[in-house]
Amino acid sequence: MNKSVISVLGQDRPGIIAAVTSILFKLDCNIENINQTILQSEFSGIFIASIPLDLTNDILCSQLTGALAHLDLCVYVKPLKHKEEGFNAAGCEPFIITTIGPDRKGLVAGITEIIAKHGVNVTNLKAIFKGGDNPTDNVMIYEVDIPNEIDQQILRKELIKRASELGLDISIQHRNIFMSINRI
Amino acid sequence: MLSENEIISTLEMLKNEHLDVRTVTLGINLFDCVSHDLNTLKKNIHNKIIKVAGNLVNVCDRIGEKYGIPVVNKRISVSPAAVFGAPFSTSQFVEIAIALNLAATEANVDFIGGFTALVEKGISKGDRALIEAIPEALTETDRVCSSINVASSRAGINMDAVLIMGKIIKKAAQLTSDKDGLACAKLCVFANIPQDIPFMAGAYLGIGEAEAVINVGVSGPGVVKKAIDRAIASDPDIDLGRIAELIKRTSYKVTRIGELIGREVADHLKIRFGVVDLSLAPTPNVGDSVGEIFQSLGLLSIGVPGSTAALALLNNAVKTGGAFASSHVGGLSGAFIPVSEDLNISESVRAGYLSLEKLEALTSVCSVGLDMVAIPGNTSEDTIAAIIADEMAIGVINKKTTAARLIPVPGKKAGESAYFGGLLGKATIMHVNNADGSNRFIRFGGLIPAPIQNLTN
Repeated sequence: MNKSVISVLGQDRPGIIAAVTSILFKLDCNIENINQTILQSEFSGIFIASIPLDLTNDILCSQLTGALAHLDLCVYVKPLKHKEEGFNAAGCEPFIITTIGPDRKGLVAGITEIIAKHGVNVTNLKAIFKGGDNPTDNVMIYEVDIPNEIDQQILRKELIKRASELGLDISIQHRNIFMSINRI
Repeated sequence: MLSENEIISTLEMLKNEHLDVRTVTLGINLFDCVSHDLNTLKKNIHNKIIKVAGNLVNVCDRIGEKYGIPVVNKRISVSPAAVFGAPFSTSQFVEIAIALNLAATEANVDFIGGFTALVEKGISKGDRALIEAIPEALTETDRVCSSINVASSRAGINMDAVLIMGKIIKKAAQLTSDKDGLACAKLCVFANIPQDIPFMAGAYLGIGEAEAVINVGVSGPGVVKKAIDRAIASDPDIDLGRIAELIKRTSYKVTRIGELIGREVADHLKIRFGVVDLSLAPTPNVGDSVGEIFQSLGLLSIGVPGSTAALALLNNAVKTGGAFASSHVGGLSGAFIPVSEDLNISESVRAGYLSLEKLEALTSVCSVGLDMVAIPGNTSEDTIAAIIADEMAIGVINKKTTAARLIPVPGKKAGESAYFGGLLGKATIMHVNNADGSNRFIRFGGLIPAPIQNLTN
């Protein structure tokens, strides 16, 4: 069996997961992971499935696209690469970077430029920009893995400098403090 | 994956509600420093403190930064000086205090505790020499803190020691009369002193403790107040049972932070982690006050009728939440009501809502005792000793810790202000009944026997 990554994007409505997974079942695929999220009214789902040897990613993609056409969904399929080719979280510490401050263009790009420059990997990101004065209405929360070998002081300094240029209040904290306070 | 609410609410506590680690206190056993020669003892003390604590401040700052939570104070507590310095005279004990001060300065900690004697049942030669040295020792040094345990529920109250402490407090105030009696702010008289308090001025490393130990004092009166305010705003009909539950949950969170930081500091220094002291310790800042919690609970001010019940609720809920959060809770663990260190409590005294008598009543249901209480400069030794005796009695009979940190402000009267600066704050001097009078009862001396352990009503 090969493994494939299937990404599905489109306006949210009931039945998207059911439609995608029933097709995968009919094609004899075994689902290993699913994650979905809804941003405003848009659905985005990512599926990892093992697929039969005689099923290519192109055929899988065209089958899904055809069957999901009535739901107006975009489908993308690619082979799953081995883990060692991607970012390795071993040797990293999990941190949470939070920014609070008024919305303007370039905030995410500005912060992630520094994060990327230091080889820090974003594992989860939530950004909410509703405008107005309520600080919790304009927040970016980055869950990141910071490699142990990088100089955290330089990363911190650069992030604080960039945040201040962007008018943001930034916090960089090890994940454990949030776990300790909020989880038993 | 953490929820947005978990992250934002934690940040809120840290940024806007004054949640911090109030102190990381490194306890160091100094018994192996003993010598018959004073200079050798002083050298040994210095070497050991620097060896064990030299890196404390750096490690605390680094870990504080890692978690985004400030470790406000880094402190050292040592074995009771009256024991390791037992052969020495009063003037030599002053030199020991100066040596401790020097080591504390070099280690860059703000206070060092342990200029301590345990005299609840009797006073030994070393104890007496140390006690007599306190006024000069606390005047000559700026970082040394002293504590004297004069009573316990097992031994009773050593009234001879209580009377001596009346005299010592008076003298310490006089020697620092240019600073409103500041030396007394570094001196606590205790009943049932715990061996592992991280907070000053009562911190010392108990005789039964390890070679070195990290104890942590957390704080969070602002967090508790904001939690109560939010709950009442969202449900004005909330009852006290649910408010107690809310305080309990908040205390849980605060304690978990203390344990996280304490364990990591201990790991880095390769020292045993001791306890989290989950006291609500205020500072003289708005929003970081235990007094403000009383107002959130619907009282006009701390000190008005209802205050003792409110404090009982608060103190018990804090302990309950903390005990669930950590199996290593110790020290004083409860709500502090230090008059000068809490802007709101200090203001209640000025406005006439809080008297010394009501304060004493409050101490029967919370930790510590008569803490940072400024009294008139003409208060007699007898009356100071009598106030201490009353406070000790509350601790001894109720099997709890109580303490007295009284400052008879030289040359000032009730109603005037005393300034101690920094975390020690400022206070309105409280009225004391029979302030300058004598007190025959105190002068009988001897030991008030320990309470029986049954018939507990």
